[in-house]
Amino acid sequence: MADRRVARRYANALFTTALKYDVVKGVEDDLNSIVGLLDNDPEFREFVIAPYTGRDQKIEIVERMFSDRVTALTMQVLRVMLEKRREDEIIGVRDEFVTLRREHAGVIFAVVTSAREIEAAQRKALLAKLEQTIGKKIEAEFKLDPHLIGGIRVAYGNYVLDGSVRGTLSSLRDRLRHDLLKQQ
Amino acid sequence: MVGGTWFSLNVKIAAIEKLNEQGLPLDLGKTIAVIGVFLILFPAIKSFFINDLTNAIESRNHHLEDTFSEAENLRAEMQKLRTEYEARMAQTEAEARFQIQNQIKEAQNLRQQLMAEATERADALVRQAQLEIDQEKSNAIAVIRTHVVDLTLAAAEKVIGENMDNEKNRRLIADFIETVEVAS
Repeated sequence: MADRRVARRYANALFTTALKYDVVKGVEDDLNSIVGLLDNDPEFREFVIAPYTGRDQKIEIVERMFSDRVTALTMQVLRVMLEKRREDEIIGVRDEFVTLRREHAGVIFAVVTSAREIEAAQRKALLAKLEQTIGKKIEAEFKLDPHLIGGIRVAYGNYVLDGSVRGTLSSLRDRLRHDLLKQQ
Repeated sequence: MVGGTWFSLNVKIAAIEKLNEQGLPLDLGKTIAVIGVFLILFPAIKSFFINDLTNAIESRNHHLEDTFSEAENLRAEMQKLRTEYEARMAQTEAEARFQIQNQIKEAQNLRQQLMAEATERADALVRQAQLEIDQEKSNAIAVIRTHVVDLTLAAAEKVIGENMDNEKNRRLIADFIETVEVAS
């Protein structure tokens, strides 16, 4: 079971160092690549996460795979995590690193969910409008959810901007029920 | 007695002689002697008989008088007791009537009180039942309305879903971008 506090500590140290050497973007790209490989390659994931694989063997293979593809700082962190048997925290470190980077840069992460694919122009317009209204730079992840029927829903921080048909119908249902309760 | 004897021997009266001749002998001297003897013996007779007889009579009279007096006293006492008894009876009857009247009045008050309480309780039960009926009615109506709302919205959702296309979805998103506002 991954421990977010441990991941937070590793990410904090990594981000501080990356910031110092101005390689934040490169480290984040490295982490995204490694996590992408973990997500998409079950064999690699099994090798890295499995407790019965030897520590030295893991380090050797990982170094051979990533030493010429990632920054030295990322490689160093990977090595330390494998030595400390913290390989199952890699995904958490990536998430916490991204969070720290966004906090540092004053960027807000938003999840934009739509029933159908949003055109590139509309994505651009949406982000521009959100940045204008929120007053901060936005990083968005776009997701599809046919359950919404139509429109979009934007979630960031503790807020949800619901412009979906599903949300509108739910809101209408709540309002009608509220009115019914008031009539009693 | 001596005079009588002398008279009998010495005095001859013609009328008496004539009676003797006719077969009705009357010796006046003996009669006078007898009277004399009687007069001489009278105090003794009086002393031995008449006084005792008088005393007995007087004693009897006294006894009778005492008896009558006692009877009179008893009668008076009886009369007094009767009067007291009648007075007591009258007082008892009056008290009994008073008690009966009080009991009747108390019973009537209790009856009225019980009637009032029963009426009040019945009214309260009726009011409570009416309230519960109204509440149940309201609940049933609310449930029905809620169902109607759900059915209506489900129908609306189905219709909208069937009629949703890329163009409408694009317009919905454009409207969202146009009108979106962020809570401060």
